[in-house]
Amino acid sequence: MTETVTVRVQRYRPEEDTAPWEQSFEVPYSEDLSILDALNQIKDQQDPTLSHRWSCRMAICGSCGVMVNNEPKLSCKTFLRDYREQAAVTVRALDNFPIERDLVSDISGFIDHLETVQPWLIRSEEQPVSAGAYPQTPEQMQRYAAFSQCINCGLCYAACPQFGRDPAFLGPGALALAQRYNLDSRDEGAAQRMQWLNAGEGVWSCTFVGYCSEVCPKDVDPAAAINRGKVASDINYAVNLLNILRGKDDA
Amino acid sequence: MHKPYIQRQRADWWLRNPAYRRYMLREATALPLFLYTLLLMSGLFQFTRGEAAFLQWLEMLRSPWLLALHGLALAAALFHAVTWIALVPKILVIDTDRLRVSPAAVKLAHQVGAVVCNAGLLLLAVLLLRAAAGN
Amino acid sequence: MRRSHEPVAWSLFGAGGMLLAFIGPGLVLTTALLPWLAADDPQATHAAIGALLAHPLGKLLVLACVALPLFHTLHRIYHGLHDLHLPAPRLPLQLLCYGGATLLSAVTGWWLLQV
Ligand code: SF4
Ligand code: FES
Repeated sequence: MTETVTVRVQRYRPEEDTAPWEQSFEVPYSEDLSILDALNQIKDQQDPTLSHRWSCRMAICGSCGVMVNNEPKLSCKTFLRDYREQAAVTVRALDNFPIERDLVSDISGFIDHLETVQPWLIRSEEQPVSAGAYPQTPEQMQRYAAFSQCINCGLCYAACPQFGRDPAFLGPGALALAQRYNLDSRDEGAAQRMQWLNAGEGVWSCTFVGYCSEVCPKDVDPAAAINRGKVASDINYAVNLLNILRGKDDA
Repeated sequence: MHKPYIQRQRADWWLRNPAYRRYMLREATALPLFLYTLLLMSGLFQFTRGEAAFLQWLEMLRSPWLLALHGLALAAALFHAVTWIALVPKILVIDTDRLRVSPAAVKLAHQVGAVVCNAGLLLLAVLLLRAAAGN
Repeated sequence: MRRSHEPVAWSLFGAGGMLLAFIGPGLVLTTALLPWLAADDPQATHAAIGALLAHPLGKLLVLACVALPLFHTLHRIYHGLHDLHLPAPRLPLQLLCYGGATLLSAVTGWWLLQV
């Protein structure tokens, strides 16, 4: 007989359910079985009505985020063998996002915040294509490289209690991306992005819980990005105050 | 059919994950440190009232309650110092074309600085009070 | 989105946090031991502290050691209460915490001018 493990999966079927509930499945165990493999086994062999998201199966598309035993994880990058001592593995939809169905979250709040911070190279004057690329040294690239590794999985949002409290908070992923462009030597948009950082819904909702950086599967360290953003916003506040005192307009 | 289930944060969210409990413990260091600051203020106030009042305050510091507060405040101050300095290199990033200091070096400098300052303060206080008593 | 005034609170919180990391444990240990350190000659301890408080730099130092930790701790307490879902609107809580820190700092400054 093959060894099995108990996987408890959160179900939510909007047609019938008013709240999520838990369903247990027995999944044949093997050393190389990921949580995603287990979910696919359940869907293919046991219950075709189970809904969950995935695409690349190799930790790059960012679509398979779920809570595994209360921690935000990419299900394709998390293996059942790491939960052998526990009696069961519990898989839920990501915290802090609306649940569309079963394990499928609606992360559009996060995506909207990403767009808010204008995550693209902003130039005061675009140079014509004929002028070639904007040059950048490896050292200059190193300054934002870590912040550019984000795959938009939303795990950091599921980890952030301040986003859980107030979904208007731009949150770790979006603020890390803002920092990624602000630190890019080719970008001239930091002044424009400052208004988003400066807001209460910007960097100032963060209390440096730091769990976002712990769960990020790409070592983006969004908590560091946000808190460096606080320093920038702090300086911006002081400069603005001086300008007001000198009779210039409030920005 | 579109009927998303909205997850609301529970008031006990911070009990449900060890990372959140550590965060709350870090924030809770503020409580004993706040009370300790009030104790410092009371000492200053008694000082303004004259020598007798101040010496009475000094004697009061021997009470078990205030020793307990000191113990709690010491634990809080140490936990605060360790967790605070661990985060400094994430906020204080020295990385310009002219000057680059690694995060590890920034952290080490703060750790050494904190040990020297804390030990130095205690040593200075002991030596000064000894010298004052000797005169 | 509107500009937040949190930078004021955060700067003071940060200064207090740095100060507490660098001298907090040493200061707590010093006052914990003070009655015993002073046991031989309490009057001399009183005089030594008096000398510290008589100097303008000493006054400034003591003010920093009281005011910055006040802003640091009350900032954390304010955010902690919000984290704990204290069912109170933000403004009165802000007035209580930051107003309290300001008031207690002012009182400390006043006392320092008395000695
Ligand atoms: S910062 Fe990390 S955890 Fe957050 S969305 Fe990007 S990759 Fe995911
Ligand atoms: S399936 Fe693409 S990241 Fe997991």
